[in-house]
Amino acid sequence: MSLFASLPHLVRRQRASLAATLIAPPAALAVAIVLNLILYMIMGRDPLAVLHAMVLEPFLSWASFSEVLLKTGPLLLIAQGLAIGFRAKVFNIGAEGQFILGAIFASAIPVWFPQATGGWIWPVMLLLGAIGGALWASITAFWRVRLNANEILVSLMLSLVAAQFLYYLLLGPWKDPAGFNFPQSVMFQYDAMVPTLIAGTRLNVSILIALALSIVAWVFMEKSFMGYKLQVGGLAPRAAGYAGFKESRAIWLSLLIGGFAAGLAGAAEVAGPLGQLQRSISTGYGYAAIIVAYLGALHPIGIIISSVVMAVIYIGGDNAMVSANLPIAAVRVFQGSLLLAYLIAVAFVRYRLEWPAQTSAKGSTP
Amino acid sequence: MTNITRRTLMKAAAATGLAGALGSRMAFAADEPLGIALVIPSPIGDVGWGHALAAGLEPIKAAYGDKVKVTILENIPEGPDADRIMNKTVADGNKFLIAGSFGYQNGALQIARRDPSVTVLHASGFQVAPNFSPFAAKYFQGTYLLGMAAAALSKTGKLGSVSAFAIPELITSINAFTLGAQTVNPNIEVSVVWVNSWFDPATEQEAAKALIAQNCDVIFSNAQDTPSVISACEEAGVYSFNLNSSMKKYAEKTYLGCVATDWSPFFKASVEDHLAGTFKGANAFLGVADKVVEVTDWNPAIPAETMTKIKELEAKIADGSFSPFTGPLTKADGSEGVAAGVTMADAEIVAMDWHVKGVATPLPK
Repeated sequence: MSLFASLPHLVRRQRASLAATLIAPPAALAVAIVLNLILYMIMGRDPLAVLHAMVLEPFLSWASFSEVLLKTGPLLLIAQGLAIGFRAKVFNIGAEGQFILGAIFASAIPVWFPQATGGWIWPVMLLLGAIGGALWASITAFWRVRLNANEILVSLMLSLVAAQFLYYLLLGPWKDPAGFNFPQSVMFQYDAMVPTLIAGTRLNVSILIALALSIVAWVFMEKSFMGYKLQVGGLAPRAAGYAGFKESRAIWLSLLIGGFAAGLAGAAEVAGPLGQLQRSISTGYGYAAIIVAYLGALHPIGIIISSVVMAVIYIGGDNAMVSANLPIAAVRVFQGSLLLAYLIAVAFVRYRLEWPAQTSAKGSTP
Repeated sequence: MTNITRRTLMKAAAATGLAGALGSRMAFAADEPLGIALVIPSPIGDVGWGHALAAGLEPIKAAYGDKVKVTILENIPEGPDADRIMNKTVADGNKFLIAGSFGYQNGALQIARRDPSVTVLHASGFQVAPNFSPFAAKYFQGTYLLGMAAAALSKTGKLGSVSAFAIPELITSINAFTLGAQTVNPNIEVSVVWVNSWFDPATEQEAAKALIAQNCDVIFSNAQDTPSVISACEEAGVYSFNLNSSMKKYAEKTYLGCVATDWSPFFKASVEDHLAGTFKGANAFLGVADKVVEVTDWNPAIPAETMTKIKELEAKIADGSFSPFTGPLTKADGSEGVAAGVTMADAEIVAMDWHVKGVATPLPK
């Protein structure tokens, strides 16, 4: 009792200052970098070489910056979709599964029509993927609305089902007949690939689609009545109820948008850098995008920034492994400590520490 | 939208200019050491596939000293990330790439096609290019011998295997294991659990326990990178063995043996060819005769008469006078696999997609 009483408490600030809000992210980055530089020195690595590989190199050439943007694409798309639901307090944690279904739906065309040609193929694939993701999310929406089943659990568990469905297809009906039993589909034909944006890189036009949809998300959330209803539903559910905003509609809409975006991202991934349906389609974008959404404060513009930051962290981490000979564990420590420092910084923007002496003094003057 | 894109692009363009200024840092002198990069999907660890590959590079380091520079990239998931990482290693000046998993095939092949000065060795694949060699071990030569030992020790007549992927490399090791066991007990039955992962210790252990619960009393850990299966078997008191590197220390009592692989002769020859400019891509399917596959750590509980037979056959496999895949072989569905007196060619073995009779579990279709 006495021990806890002597510890400081977090007290919510009446208002977070703008300056602190803006300083928090770079401050967190600085703290994380300093802490990790010390770690690298202890490990006997050249800290400046690591820093160069991790933070600067992603920006130093077209080749690596295009890779950053390539990685940004799916994170941005999924996070924008999820953020809309999160603001309505509908927690779709199963974007990974919707991403996988998007990839599967998109792959149906090259798998079933490997000889098809024409410029219509890739747009149709992306559309199919988005529909596939939305359909998968609709299962969660149905059970939430119908039986009040927790959407966090249902969507999360459905991700595992989606992965098994993918494995079934790759080991069975969709296995490449000339692929020596390796669990992968045929290689997609040229027309089934999303066109490259910049020659010589793997960056494709899906990043433009992601940016365009980010603007759409912003208009929807900030300017449309429907977006307003979603936000009110999230902030004050009972007020929304009194105003006649249906909760079930918010749930359906949130999950369908989230599924649509994640499915689109899955389609763009399989028809982009992969070019073949493989098990490795699922690398955790759906989960990483949850972090991206919150790092971007669930705001469409914030998410654009946070998805680029997240992509740089990924690419920089890989660079550090290759160029600076850093073990993967140290890369993960950097990524983890950066997120932790950011969350702590954000906590201090919204809350302040109050020491017990002050609390008791306040408590004694009613 | 266009605004944002253009701004980002301009920033990037400015950064490119900066890179140009730093370009001199990236230029390589002619007497640079040969950069060798090994990329593997799982952690190196103390045992297993990745460990065996990394160990295969040690003699090269010892022989060439600072004429080579070895970089090992572990834990790289197959897919677009692996492609980028492999591209990056080559862009950093590595000229000798070992892509240590079948899932790296497409990305690694693209690198080989784009840059003829790079030599690529690719594990378990089937594509070949002038500077791109797939490599695989003839594990089946070792598993055949361990099948004989397993059948001699089994009381239930049921053997099991926890296996990674239903690809020919692993199908053949199960088939040879079964054929070897049938030489001792013609009615032996082999059950297989495909875990569909190269690295998933929890699932692998579950699978081992399920096989033990079905009365399998010798378990073959087929391509697991950790002692997951081996230690579960030690706990349950059933015999087990694995591929690549010895896991005896995790199962002192029930460790049946190890189909060990030593990649150094192959790696060394390939590096020599690369340095001499004579490297030629070819399917490298290596076994006992190439000193790549060797069975070690035989359990002393194996009956002496079985051991004598095993040693005889081992010698015959080494000198090429015996192959486990010699007809008559019957497929699991009862149809003829290989006619009497015919021996399967290497090209047929690397494409084998059927189980022999005696394997109780059907292949995933």
